Amino acid sequence: MGIWDKLTRLLGLKKREVNVLVVGLNNSGKSTVINHFKSEEERSTEIVATVGFNVEKFRNKNVGFTAFDMSGQGRYRDLWEHYYKECQGIIFVVDSSDRLRLVVVRDELDLLLQHPDVTGRRIPILFFANKMDIREALSSVKIAAALGLERILDKPWHICASNALTGEGLQEGVEWLTQQIRELVSNK
Amino acid sequence: MSEIRNINAQRWLDAFSEPHAAIYTFSHCMALADLNGDNDYKLIVADLGTGTMNIKLKVYKGTSLFTESTLIDVPTGVVTFHMDVSEPRIPAVAVASGPNIYIYKNMRPYFKFSLPTLEVNALERDLWLQMRDKCMEVDTFFELIQNLRQEIGFTHLTPRSQQLLLLEHEKWKSFVETHVTTPLKKQTVITSITTLNKNMAEEDAVACLVVGTENGGIYVLDPEAFTVLESLSLSGCSSSNNTVPVHLVATGLFDVEYRILATCRDGTICLLRRGFQEAKVLVQLSTQVVAMVVILENNNIVTALMDRTIQCFTRKGKKHWEIKSPKNVTTMGVVPLHHLSLTLLAVAMTGGTVQLYEGRQLVDVVTVPDTVSALRFGHFGQEENTLILITVGGSLYVKILKRTAHFTPQNDCIGLVPAQQIKMAIPKKTKLFVEHTMRERENAIAMHQTFQHDLFRLRLNTARACVRALESCNNPISTSTVDPLKMTAQVLGLGPKFKLYLTLENMSVSSTSKDLAISFHCDDKIYSVEKPFIYIPVLAPGLTYQFETGVECVSELGISDQIRIFIVKLDQSEPLLAVMVAMPACDTLTNV
Repeated sequence: MGIWDKLTRLLGLKKREVNVLVVGLNNSGKSTVINHFKSEEERSTEIVATVGFNVEKFRNKNVGFTAFDMSGQGRYRDLWEHYYKECQGIIFVVDSSDRLRLVVVRDELDLLLQHPDVTGRRIPILFFANKMDIREALSSVKIAAALGLERILDKPWHICASNALTGEGLQEGVEWLTQQIRELVSNK
Repeated sequence: MSEIRNINAQRWLDAFSEPHAAIYTFSHCMALADLNGDNDYKLIVADLGTGTMNIKLKVYKGTSLFTESTLIDVPTGVVTFHMDVSEPRIPAVAVASGPNIYIYKNMRPYFKFSLPTLEVNALERDLWLQMRDKCMEVDTFFELIQNLRQEIGFTHLTPRSQQLLLLEHEKWKSFVETHVTTPLKKQTVITSITTLNKNMAEEDAVACLVVGTENGGIYVLDPEAFTVLESLSLSGCSSSNNTVPVHLVATGLFDVEYRILATCRDGTICLLRRGFQEAKVLVQLSTQVVAMVVILENNNIVTALMDRTIQCFTRKGKKHWEIKSPKNVTTMGVVPLHHLSLTLLAVAMTGGTVQLYEGRQLVDVVTVPDTVSALRFGHFGQEENTLILITVGGSLYVKILKRTAHFTPQNDCIGLVPAQQIKMAIPKKTKLFVEHTMRERENAIAMHQTFQHDLFRLRLNTARACVRALESCNNPISTSTVDPLKMTAQVLGLGPKFKLYLTLENMSVSSTSKDLAISFHCDDKIYSVEKPFIYIPVLAPGLTYQFETGVECVSELGISDQIRIFIVKLDQSEPLLAVMVAMPACDTLTNV
């Protein structure tokens, strides 16, 4: 790597492409989150349940994101693990109003963390405690405790409450993710 | 590999537990349905409360109580069904209680259906009419009702007469006075309720209600007009008069072909089908039924009985298998797992265990702190595979099946032993085998005749040999009328020298035997008998005589042989009796 490359990268001038994986249970708001990052004209007005997965592209702070928006339905969750290898970041969307399925979220998170393609790597994981506008929604702190996020020691993680319908909290989260990926690449 | 095992060790996630939910109910009074049409399935529970107080219809949305409405009477069943084809597809909730069915739509009371009234016994009506016109005394009236009871049975009286019969003497008058003016009505109560799809097999298709009543009737109701489409009576099909349906399962389509299975309080399983004039008894069980489910895949009927057995019957009523349950069964439920194409059977037992069976194989056990009184598996909230358990203490537990869970039979389970599963190495059918089979098939009669012929020959030969033995006096008891004798022989010693003791007895009552002799016959190369001929002068009746002789084994080979002992009469050529003595092997060591 030449000195010029390093310089431009440090200054953030050169465009960089990264793959992120968007996972979470069905009806947690993954597609809605991704929809919000798209430019005005590309946004779809109605979000339907994803079948299989969708690939979406968006930019943040000079970094091009290719988001694999996975379907969260039980029968499609087997697909997630096939994309762990290629991704540089994971966005985990949690429905904070669905208290009943927090155990399922935790179970899926454990499966993800135990996967051989994820365990040894320093992949940043961003958690969105989505649907914070709903009255019975749990706070992001409670979600973090329920999922046992403090156990994740070898990976940078961040949780932020969000409302994907209005876009609240989404920008903060993605900025953190961009920062993390930037650090990770320049440290290489 | 160990990781996979760990995952499988715990197949259920504890999604929610509320020990103080205070719900007292049974499996019949629980339902899961998408009540708002938003794909968020709710739990509908009819809470029996104390039986008189706090009887409520509760709806749970996820982990929280969503709505609650008071019920007037104790519920006997709750079902959800689609009344019409309007959009959005919102199901109605039917709560059976007493003689009525209360229909709720959007959790608001919508309609009340009452069972048709029954005909009152003419004599009973006359009696009450006479009482109204004050034609007789209360005491005589009571007596007449009592007589009527003996005649037609307690259950066939109206509730009013039944109540009167149970009252104490001083309350009769006031009871009669308060009730005599209102017209007499006889109504039965609903014991069980279920649904039957009308003309489409889909889950959200329009469905009819099927209700079973205390007087042994089964009604199929129209979902829109609530008219009785079909009414049948179970009481005629069994000898006992206790055919009250307690569990109902309906499969098929009402307009096409349907089967309604009803287990009754007397332990019969009755079948009703389209076009049946009266119910058919499918199975007569030895004891009462605790729970019944039908496995949709193969239409097998699984029943849990009071005698701690779980019995499975085919759709035609043939017994398939039976297993003993370790504890008393409280309730059962089906666990259909479409993603694994499996249907499990959940059996709740006293003490708080819920066992899951695949067929007759135990595959998993779920435990909760208390005995489960009601269980239901299905779509709850956003999750498809949820098991909801309510205990006798009123606790509510929600368990979610893990996505990665697999069900393999446990090794230490009851059911098939491993040896039964081993396939035997049966050789291929050879041409010779096939020819042989063909020949056997064609000449079956001839072969049988030959066999029978040979068998009779064998029997005849045996009988002949037996007769010959008797005729040649080759037995130790002589049955001749002149000299009935009995002889026993005993050999003492290790060899080569033996002592032979003979005991001779005259069995005749009075006559004495004379001129007898004992003679020995043996191979002289092996044995030499000391006294080969013993003369017996006289044998008095009833006495036993002892004779003895020495026998020496002269062979050096150490082999043993038999010695034959004959009793002969001096002037007869045939011996009276003969005894065969098997000599013991001679111990050659002592010879040296």
